[in-house]
Amino acid sequence: MRVFGKLALLAICGAAASYAVALSTPYWFKPKAEAHVDVTDPSLIQQGEYLAHAGDCVACHTAPGGKPFAGGLGMQTPMGTIYSTNITPDRTTGIGLYTYGDFERAVRKGIRPDGTHLYPAMPYVSYAVVRDDDVKALYAYFMSSVEKARQVNQPTTMPWPLSMRWPLAWWQLMFAQPRDFTTTATDPQFERGAYLVEGLAHCGACHTPRGIAFQETALADGPNSRFLSGSVLEGWYAKNLRDEGTGLSTWTTAEIVDFLKTGRNDKTAAFGSMSDVVEHSTQHLLTEDLSAIASYLKSLKPRDGRSPTSQPKEDLTTAALKAGDFSAPGATSYVEHCAVCHRMDGKGAPRIYPALAGNSMVFADDPSSLIQVTLAGGRMPKTTHDAMVFTMPGFSHLPNREIAEVLNFIRNGWGNHGSQITEADISRMRHEIARKPKHYVPGDKK
Amino acid sequence: MTSRSLLFSGIAITAIIAAGGAFILMHQPTLDAPVGDAIAVLDANGKRIGDYRVPADSTIATEPNAEAILLGKRLLNETARLLPANVGNGLNCNSCHMGQGKLSDANPYINTTNTYPSFNPRANREIELSMRINGCLQRSMNGKPLAADSTEMHAMLSYMNWLRQDVVKGTKVAVRNAGPIDESLVPDPQRGRTIYAAQCAACHGANGQGMKDQAGDYIFPPLWGDDSFNIGAGLARTYKAAQFVKYAMPPAMHLNAPLGAGGVLSDQDALDVAEFFTHMPRPDFAGKVNDWKGLKKPKDARY
Repeated sequence: MRVFGKLALLAICGAAASYAVALSTPYWFKPKAEAHVDVTDPSLIQQGEYLAHAGDCVACHTAPGGKPFAGGLGMQTPMGTIYSTNITPDRTTGIGLYTYGDFERAVRKGIRPDGTHLYPAMPYVSYAVVRDDDVKALYAYFMSSVEKARQVNQPTTMPWPLSMRWPLAWWQLMFAQPRDFTTTATDPQFERGAYLVEGLAHCGACHTPRGIAFQETALADGPNSRFLSGSVLEGWYAKNLRDEGTGLSTWTTAEIVDFLKTGRNDKTAAFGSMSDVVEHSTQHLLTEDLSAIASYLKSLKPRDGRSPTSQPKEDLTTAALKAGDFSAPGATSYVEHCAVCHRMDGKGAPRIYPALAGNSMVFADDPSSLIQVTLAGGRMPKTTHDAMVFTMPGFSHLPNREIAEVLNFIRNGWGNHGSQITEADISRMRHEIARKPKHYVPGDKK
Repeated sequence: MTSRSLLFSGIAITAIIAAGGAFILMHQPTLDAPVGDAIAVLDANGKRIGDYRVPADSTIATEPNAEAILLGKRLLNETARLLPANVGNGLNCNSCHMGQGKLSDANPYINTTNTYPSFNPRANREIELSMRINGCLQRSMNGKPLAADSTEMHAMLSYMNWLRQDVVKGTKVAVRNAGPIDESLVPDPQRGRTIYAAQCAACHGANGQGMKDQAGDYIFPPLWGDDSFNIGAGLARTYKAAQFVKYAMPPAMHLNAPLGAGGVLSDQDALDVAEFFTHMPRPDFAGKVNDWKGLKKPKDARY
């Protein structure tokens, strides 16, 4: 029993020490930094509004159908649902009593005024590099221009002990060091692109693979080339954005800009989480900023061992389908369910029905998005550019076997080549969809 | 029991619980598509006497006349490309009979072979299904008829006959050709022009010209002009067009499979836009002199 007792004592002492360190980090690791901000300065407010678009604050801090920035959007984690918070300047339920120092520390360091550590669902690891002037502008905008909403924050549904937040201090010590934006680039456009992508736009939150502790495995481009190399979140594969075969090598800079500005281009369209990003964030950005983002993304070198270009096979699919040769597995289903919109040539209709041929979402390394959009459907973002918003219906009524077959047909048709999808993959995605909080289901316009 | 053995058994028990927990958490039963609702088969008195399920095209292969059915499917899908001698414009049968004639409210073929021969008011006589199909070719497709005994006609009939499955003559699958529209409403073509620009022009073009693919085939059919249906077509009639527009157009609007179509326009909207585009310039129909002979014309007849 002596060993057992000693071990228990050691564990208790360790936990107590760990807890004490966690409570102390707001004082030495991430202290508050006050500064004077004139929150009535109209040009500062205007700048802040633009930056709030760039940071896409509204997307997470607004529940579907709820008041802007009043929080309440549920985010599913393996331990339970986290709800976004009210960041309107309401003094009792929002951030109305925040000083600039409180605001800055929450945004860039992930700590609330009371010293509570924020979940990394708030992308403070990315916001850490946002410059002082930009944080001040954001503060002015939120304090002076956002409409107050009285809405109490929802507690998480995580059970104790998972609901304890102090272990997040250790997570922050390991993965969320305070840091400044640095770049070796001398070209101002490149620097602007890098600053936006790594910082406010927090592209890496979805597009960079996460590690075992849910940390982003790279926060900027570096020797390991993991930054923005694609990751799965909520059953959507946020695609590889590096300039490699299955990444953005098939996209021109102009196509990337068009996509971010309007949610679509002649080949493809945004759906899933990216549809929200375009609708709430990127469509509002200046073309010069979008060009900077696109140029920066196109500069991300391929990972070691990855083909820098997509090498399409010869298109034998179009001729076969048009000749009535439906012998390839999945071809019959394709003509029955898909061809009316995506067409025999797999080219769809520009800006209306996305192409499947040569669409890097279709032959992505990870087929999650392809599977989910097929089962659950997806909606293009609504932007000021196009009068009509098109929706792909969900085909969950088709059996797993048929969906797997038709997706393999699509992933390997018209010159595409992608790994095989199995019936079990379809079943897994049905579970993933069934688990989602309700408001993650894209709005059904019917 | 020594403290060491106690420790080991503790570790062993924890490991077993952890493994069991992990199995329960990780193990997922296979989740597949739910069995869809069957559509009722009704007898002449409207009593449900059986079930019908829309067959998947993959089952065609097991039919003795699979080749003819598949050819029929292709001809109905790609009529303009495959029958250039018979189609005089850019339309396919399935431009209007959407989803390969399998959809309620979008002119399904499900009951078609069981409905003919039947009395046709426009012709004022009993007609065969092949004659009805030729009516489409000459009106909606502004072209020329197929010989009743041709391979192509036989193939289209085979597809429609396969689609009915084992439903027999005298009974009916409970699907609608088109949904209802309030016929007391009066159309306003000016309002229709505005609705057209907002809800139709993205695909059918600002001038109703449709949209072609790189091979020159129509993705979206033209709604007026030389390449559209002629005035003899059912769709040239305001109220018939409005029924189609309300329930089958625009597609890709919501998440409900298979087309995400309809549910956007009100009866008045559909009627206004139908009045607008049906009355834009389109080819004449020489055979119109034989229509409605000795009968009262419908109020939206074009001649």
